[in-house]
Amino acid sequence: MKPETELKRSAEPIWWALFSAGGVCFAVFIPAAIVFLAMLLPLGVVELTYTQAQSWYFSIWGLMFTGAVVVLPLFHAGHRFRHGLHDLKVQQHTLVKVLCYGFASALSLLCLGLWCIGYFN
Amino acid sequence: MSYKPVLTRTWWLKHRAFKAYMLREATVLPLLFFLLTLCCGIYALWQGPSQWQAWQITMKHPAVLAINSLALVASLYHAWTFFQLFPRVMPIRLGSKTLPAQVLIAGQWAGLVAVFVLFTWLFRGSL
Amino acid sequence: MINVKVARYLPEQSAAPFVQEFKVPYDASTSVLDALNYIKEELDPSLSFRWSCRMAICGSCGVMANGIPKLGCKVFLRDYEQGLLLEPLAHLPVERDLIVDMDAFLKHLEAVKPYLINNETTAVKSATTHQQTPAQLGKYKQFANCINCGLCYSACPQFGLNPEFLGPAAITLAHRYNLDSRDQGKAARMPLLNTAEGPWACTFVGFCSDVCPQQVDPAAAVNQSKVESAKDMLIQLFKGKL
Repeated sequence: MKPETELKRSAEPIWWALFSAGGVCFAVFIPAAIVFLAMLLPLGVVELTYTQAQSWYFSIWGLMFTGAVVVLPLFHAGHRFRHGLHDLKVQQHTLVKVLCYGFASALSLLCLGLWCIGYFN
Repeated sequence: MSYKPVLTRTWWLKHRAFKAYMLREATVLPLLFFLLTLCCGIYALWQGPSQWQAWQITMKHPAVLAINSLALVASLYHAWTFFQLFPRVMPIRLGSKTLPAQVLIAGQWAGLVAVFVLFTWLFRGSL
Repeated sequence: MINVKVARYLPEQSAAPFVQEFKVPYDASTSVLDALNYIKEELDPSLSFRWSCRMAICGSCGVMANGIPKLGCKVFLRDYEQGLLLEPLAHLPVERDLIVDMDAFLKHLEAVKPYLINNETTAVKSATTHQQTPAQLGKYKQFANCINCGLCYSACPQFGLNPEFLGPAAITLAHRYNLDSRDQGKAARMPLLNTAEGPWACTFVGFCSDVCPQQVDPAAAVNQSKVESAKDMLIQLFKGKL
């Protein structure tokens, strides 16, 4: 055990908060999103024209969709992946952390960036 | 002299509870695939109508459909585990009583169903 | 008769642990601890194991029964008719046969200051009794039932992967005192709970709660501690102390 003066606060609350919020989204929003966007839509059961999709997505609702269905689940996945690698005894903790959260951040920024361009045009 | 067995990389194969745990953690793998296809869709939407059409055709590919179906199963398994954990991590106390876990679990499933209703309503025109 | 295999370790005889098999008679009331005592008294007096109360309250007789941490006095041979392998508690150094070195576990318990801390002077203390309402008691009561048997540490793969992890029982005890209305020691406990070796090493495997002989639900306490640590971070952030 380290002496009390050397105790260092972990940054984990930040990642855990994103993970938890993402976990709620993964459980509550993702099932319906998969059924409608990745199953019924490609199977032709429902339709979503380009104009309709555009007007839906590049609105303020699209931003909320991106947050709940893309960004937070990405951080959820990154966090679990990171801890999963630790469980499998992958010892490069810093590298894994940078890669997992870096990937989640990059993809999130891409989607948020695309939304901004579409929304403000 | 004491000895201490070292945990092997395959420790989680030794017990049912650990396998269920690893399965829960692995639900993010098909989730990640779905998120990637969704990001491609957003990118296609930004590019234009022909790319949007192309994305919809890609989504029809049997392999893509299969993995996304797996992601659906994974999301439901995750939901089942996550909803049970929530009342233990954040118990809600009303006065001297704790709100029964079953109430919180049922509330969360209701939330999941509500999102399905919302999506159905959004797509009501083409159903 | 049941075949009971016991993991033996006799460092003065052999550097390697080995498994010895015994045939033990049993009836419906023969506990695993009874079986160990039978082996020691009738078959092999060199067998070493810890025990005391025989009634699941002292927490001494923890062993791995077919790979799952159990109190020897609380499980019965009748449930192991297919055969039973007894091993020392996992994730702790083995001193001899079924006896583990609990030092790491005890050090972690001690580190979280598991006792009431308050700043009242002795005069005030003797003048007042610390009354608690049922609601105040209810907040921590479940977490106060820990008997320090260490089964949760043997059930925890995160402790197995990282022995620095404070672990289920210690964090549960810290949380138990943090929730106690008579206690003012939370500020003194949080620095340790805010470290990476505190609740943050936990991934809610939940097996610690499955094996707990007192239904303490350490996994819940550990994850509630995460919420507390996150709150603590926010508060310090708003105070500008971060």
